[in-house]
Amino acid sequence: TGKVMELEASTLAEIPARVNKIIVEGIKKTKDDFIQKKLESIFTASTVEEMLLLCQSAKMDLSRMNIFKSVQIKIDTTKNVDEDDRYDVTFHMKEKRWFGGGMHATFGGENNATMVSRLQFPNTFGRAENVALEYNKSLKGDHGGALRFSKPLNGNPDVRFSTSVYKLNLEYPWSGFKETSRGVNFDFTFPSNFGDHCLRWEGVWRDLRTMDRSTSFTVREQAGHSLKSSIKHQFTRDERDSPILPSRGSLIKMEQEFAGLGGNVEFFRHDMELQFNKKLILDSVIQLSLAGGIMKNPNPNTEIRINDRFFLGGPLTLRGFNTKGVGPHSEGNALGGDVYWASGLHLYTPLPFRPGKGGFGDFFRSHFFVNAGNVYNIQTDKPIIENLRGLSEEFRLAYGAGIVLMMGNIARLELNYVVPVRAQTGDSINSGLQFGIGVTFL
Amino acid sequence: MTSLVGNVIQAEIGAPERWPNNVKLYEPYQAEQIILPDHANCLGVRTFLKMCNLPFTRELRINAEEMSPSGSVPFLQAGVFLVAEFDPIVAFVGLRGFQLSQDLSETEKSDLRAYCSMVSRILGNAEKYLSWMMDTIAVEVTQPRVGAVHPWPLNWMIPMMKKFEVKSQLKSLGWANKTLEEVLNEIKSCCQALSERLEQQKYFFGDQPTELDALVFGHLFSLLTIQLPAVDIAADIKEFVNLTEFCQRIESKYFKEKEDD
Repeated sequence: TGKVMELEASTLAEIPARVNKIIVEGIKKTKDDFIQKKLESIFTASTVEEMLLLCQSAKMDLSRMNIFKSVQIKIDTTKNVDEDDRYDVTFHMKEKRWFGGGMHATFGGENNATMVSRLQFPNTFGRAENVALEYNKSLKGDHGGALRFSKPLNGNPDVRFSTSVYKLNLEYPWSGFKETSRGVNFDFTFPSNFGDHCLRWEGVWRDLRTMDRSTSFTVREQAGHSLKSSIKHQFTRDERDSPILPSRGSLIKMEQEFAGLGGNVEFFRHDMELQFNKKLILDSVIQLSLAGGIMKNPNPNTEIRINDRFFLGGPLTLRGFNTKGVGPHSEGNALGGDVYWASGLHLYTPLPFRPGKGGFGDFFRSHFFVNAGNVYNIQTDKPIIENLRGLSEEFRLAYGAGIVLMMGNIARLELNYVVPVRAQTGDSINSGLQFGIGVTFL
Repeated sequence: MTSLVGNVIQAEIGAPERWPNNVKLYEPYQAEQIILPDHANCLGVRTFLKMCNLPFTRELRINAEEMSPSGSVPFLQAGVFLVAEFDPIVAFVGLRGFQLSQDLSETEKSDLRAYCSMVSRILGNAEKYLSWMMDTIAVEVTQPRVGAVHPWPLNWMIPMMKKFEVKSQLKSLGWANKTLEEVLNEIKSCCQALSERLEQQKYFFGDQPTELDALVFGHLFSLLTIQLPAVDIAADIKEFVNLTEFCQRIESKYFKEKEDD
């Protein structure tokens, strides 16, 4: 907040103003050159309006660094000078404490809640770096820890360099195995005109073991160590109004991964997701989602491991099937495939008769949907046309209806009654009631 | 497993299902990967199955150890059953109605169990000691072999983890603090006991081989033929002439064609 001369907004653009001095108070840890870069532009103001706008944008910029508890601006006329259009701007900042932390729950997996305990050191070296120590544990038994470092480049919070080192113990009950991963990654995120990009190199040592004696032998044969060294490019353009229950806007998400620079895991993978939302009459929304991916192994002598394959099925992807229940199975264990596609057509409407309108009822929707998809293993000895035919003809289909509950911005719950209409032998079907909780649904 | 139980189960299972068609024995790669303790155990099991005249195929896998239900090699796949390591495999085979020791008296049978236990304990732990606790051998032979099948940096990280594991195992068994001389003496006294039991017989319990013969052959043949730097175990064992002749006899009877590794 600043003390400003009381004038109507339209005339502010006409009143000349020059900033004489910028005073910054409350800085202990943050480096001077870092702050300077953010505030320099304020000196270019020539009118009061420009000065106010530049101050406001500098304040927002500083707040986005996540290193200050508060940023306050005070503008006053410069005393003891001849000109009457000179102003002194004072930025009063309160830096965050040098360490902080907390626990929170995320619902990132499939019907799985993870408790994350985090200890972080904001502004670790004075230029908005962030070092964090994390431990997470999920309901399903996954657990792990990570040490993360992140730094905005050139003071720009949208362009970041991050790195982390982690150890994770993950369970894959649908495929009968558990995996210990130890990895390190380096990320470079930046925006572009089209969307947000992330370039990553990761090196992961995976140790796969069977879960118990009942695991199928096909999965048991893949037990052991593998080392993946890969580069990934992720692109996201999210123009929706809400990530949990959007009513308009579109989403494009793409990921390309190339594994094989070192290590003993080789593949090239492309994965894509599209979503379109459109509002209709009576506050209902129609949504179309499409997803698909393909992987290829450049080395004909080795197979792509089960740790890297595509899986499909479950309340968050293809409703009407159990988690990862679509695709090739061996003795009840999902084996995954190297190509998949999935799509969903949804209609969301407010609850009939709108109970609790304006309050709690607004978090609920009625949901009608049709979803279809396929997970397939490309057969290299058959012509492409045969593979395309298999991929398109042997698809699964299910439709249903239910209720969606939006839990703020952290999760979405669905309770549906699903009717699977098409499936293949070996699929793990879930017809009737199906419950889902997660963040991203297809 | 007492033969009484074995008979009952045999009656239940019935003759046709006793030994499935495509039984497989999973082992690590012989030429580049396998190390002394595993070689001894694998050879022991193979010899035992040949003595029982039970057909099987050997499957060599880089990840045989990780595939194994117990974490150790070798392991047997018979139909839907997976059985790992020498003693459980002998028991499993016995349940199926194939036993080498059924004609022994009760005292002989308990003798057999005692000798088997002594050999597994002394020779087994001695092999682990030589492979992992002796720095020259660990660094020049064991660790490179274990790491050879993994990409960098796993080729040194995994053997290091394994070394730590084996060292703590040996520590809890009281073997970690022994000196090389003590270990060599343990091997010698074990061989002494075996030599006295064997005397001039064809096998340890007379004319017919038992699981003890297979187990002893597995360990002694490995110790005789696998060359390790800084120690000459073969010389110590060769002092017991009847044991070396025993190994030669078993080798020529059951491994007539040169085994290709």
